[in-house]
Amino acid sequence: MIEVRGVTKTYGKKQNKFVALDQINFTIPDGASVAILGKSGSGKSTLMHAMSGLDRPEVGEILVDGIDILKLKQKAVDTFRAKKIGFIFQSFFVQANETVVDNVSLPLEVADVPRAERTKRIDAALESVELTDKRKSKAKNLSGGQKQRLAIARAIVNQPRIIFADEPTGNLDSATGEKVEDMLFGYNRNNGVTLIIVTHDADLAEKCDILINIKDGKVASIIDNKHQPVTPMHTIRKIQL
Amino acid sequence: MRTLDIIARASRSIRQAKARTLLTSLAIGVGAFTITLALAAGAGGRQYAQDIISANTNTRELRVTQKQNFDASKPQKYAGENTQVFGNGLSFKQLSQRDLDAIAKLPQVASVAPIYSLNVQYATRAGQDKYHAQVIAFDGNITQEYLAGGAATKPASTVISEGYREALGFTSNQAAIGQSINLVVKQAGANSPQPVTKTFAIKVSGVYKSSSLSFTNSSSIQVTGDLAKEIYTYNQQGTPSYGLFMGAYVFADSSDVTDQVKQSISSKGFEVQTAKDLMSTIFQFINVLQGILLGFGVLAVLTSVFGIINTQYISVLERTQQIGLMKALGMRRRDVGRLFKFEAAWIGFLGGAIGAGVAIAAGTFANPLITKALALGTGTNLLIFEPLSVVAIIVGLMLVSVGAGILPARKAAKLDPIEALRTE
Repeated sequence: MIEVRGVTKTYGKKQNKFVALDQINFTIPDGASVAILGKSGSGKSTLMHAMSGLDRPEVGEILVDGIDILKLKQKAVDTFRAKKIGFIFQSFFVQANETVVDNVSLPLEVADVPRAERTKRIDAALESVELTDKRKSKAKNLSGGQKQRLAIARAIVNQPRIIFADEPTGNLDSATGEKVEDMLFGYNRNNGVTLIIVTHDADLAEKCDILINIKDGKVASIIDNKHQPVTPMHTIRKIQL
Repeated sequence: MRTLDIIARASRSIRQAKARTLLTSLAIGVGAFTITLALAAGAGGRQYAQDIISANTNTRELRVTQKQNFDASKPQKYAGENTQVFGNGLSFKQLSQRDLDAIAKLPQVASVAPIYSLNVQYATRAGQDKYHAQVIAFDGNITQEYLAGGAATKPASTVISEGYREALGFTSNQAAIGQSINLVVKQAGANSPQPVTKTFAIKVSGVYKSSSLSFTNSSSIQVTGDLAKEIYTYNQQGTPSYGLFMGAYVFADSSDVTDQVKQSISSKGFEVQTAKDLMSTIFQFINVLQGILLGFGVLAVLTSVFGIINTQYISVLERTQQIGLMKALGMRRRDVGRLFKFEAAWIGFLGGAIGAGVAIAAGTFANPLITKALALGTGTNLLIFEPLSVVAIIVGLMLVSVGAGILPARKAAKLDPIEALRTE
């Protein structure tokens, strides 16, 4: 379970002060698929960075399985990311000059997984993204869709609890994008992993269980697709502002 | 992250930027090359000096001379009759028989033998030409290789070099043994218009191989101490320098007390040099030369340090996105820093290995040429590559490279992953 409580992030000082996140509150149950929807500059990426421990908002709490990751020391945050988080980025961020296997191996090495165990997990991850036949290829020789599948394999190889996907289909054509989406949602359903997709694509967001709308650093609305629309939080505050 | 995994990743990164790595390595390689050669030349020089000294000296032996004063800038006090005065105000004080007797009485002195200057007109043999004779006293302490026969033991026996054997018309080394040769000596003190000479007939007891390691090398006729004294007496008697010697060899009772004997002779006001002193003088000279060469090598390494810093900075900039990803995946700051330090270490290793490798190859190729050019004698290598010092050079350069990589590595470690992942 992820609980975000009163998270506020500001940049700059005094006149130049810019509030990127303003009193964000929500809760995500384990195994849910969540879309954080918003326009560019809305603060959705900052929110993702905060939830994954990359950024540290000065106000608020982010509880992951009951532990406030904002209060952890740098080392502990690193370990938290290495063991519990998987990342997928819009522009893949695969290492072009390295082989598929070496790319997928990186999170396992970072997390100190023993060598013998690594091979097993890499094989399993590559199989689930259908890249087994490309294991020895250099990443630069893969197509866009294959690169993103490689990124998915890298994200899931260490069996994380939460996967963050930042515009995962943004650089892909719709057919390839759909395949990548299916893989992500399939993995989310079959393994009970929490999937958090950051996107401005409403169609993609519609496919998620929970839809969190971010506007100007605030939560504009939260919709639970599985049940019924949740009352938008902080609408009162928004009106006041 | 495990060290081995980091090293493996570092080596892969290095291989991906082959040209850049190689060029940076070559800069440090120049330093490695110079340092390797400097150490090899030092080791070879010391080995060569040691070979020469152990072939020519005895650890029991001390060479004694008068304390000399070579200050020609002002008149010197009259130092007695036993001073030979040269032009330009230079003088050389010699040892007298009295000095030798005084030294012989000192404790732990086994024997004292004056160094005779032997002036022989020529050497010849019945039916052969006359040759200038370089005659020296036979010294049993000097190891020399005999091609035939052996040491001169009987008073009227001699050991000659292969060169004299040939010149004096012996068909083979073996043929010379037991044969007689003549040394013709002039009586310098004879007060007569006609030269007065005497012929000393001596039997060849051995033919020695001219050794490049020997001071007495090339070609000489070695006569026994008794005969040397006889020749000297005949030659010098009646001249003012009779009874005066350039120096003397003093033998201590054992090599353990050489230093004590040196002390006691020295306290009598003589100049004393032991084999050890000679060695340290030569070593000092070699060490200075080696130091100069090393200095150049260190300078080259210092220059290459800036190359490494530059290369690593560029590498960090180029791989901003990769660093961001690694940090996002939970890689620790320390491990990111280590990744770049290991890469620097690889550069140092490559540079060291290339430089040392080329130096060893070049040295191995050049050794016979140097030996030939300087006529050092076969089997002598002036460049000796010690495996341990080569390893030390490579390890040392790796450490230097890591040191150079600290700043770029710190930059990488401090990189903000959010900023890094925004770079596209």
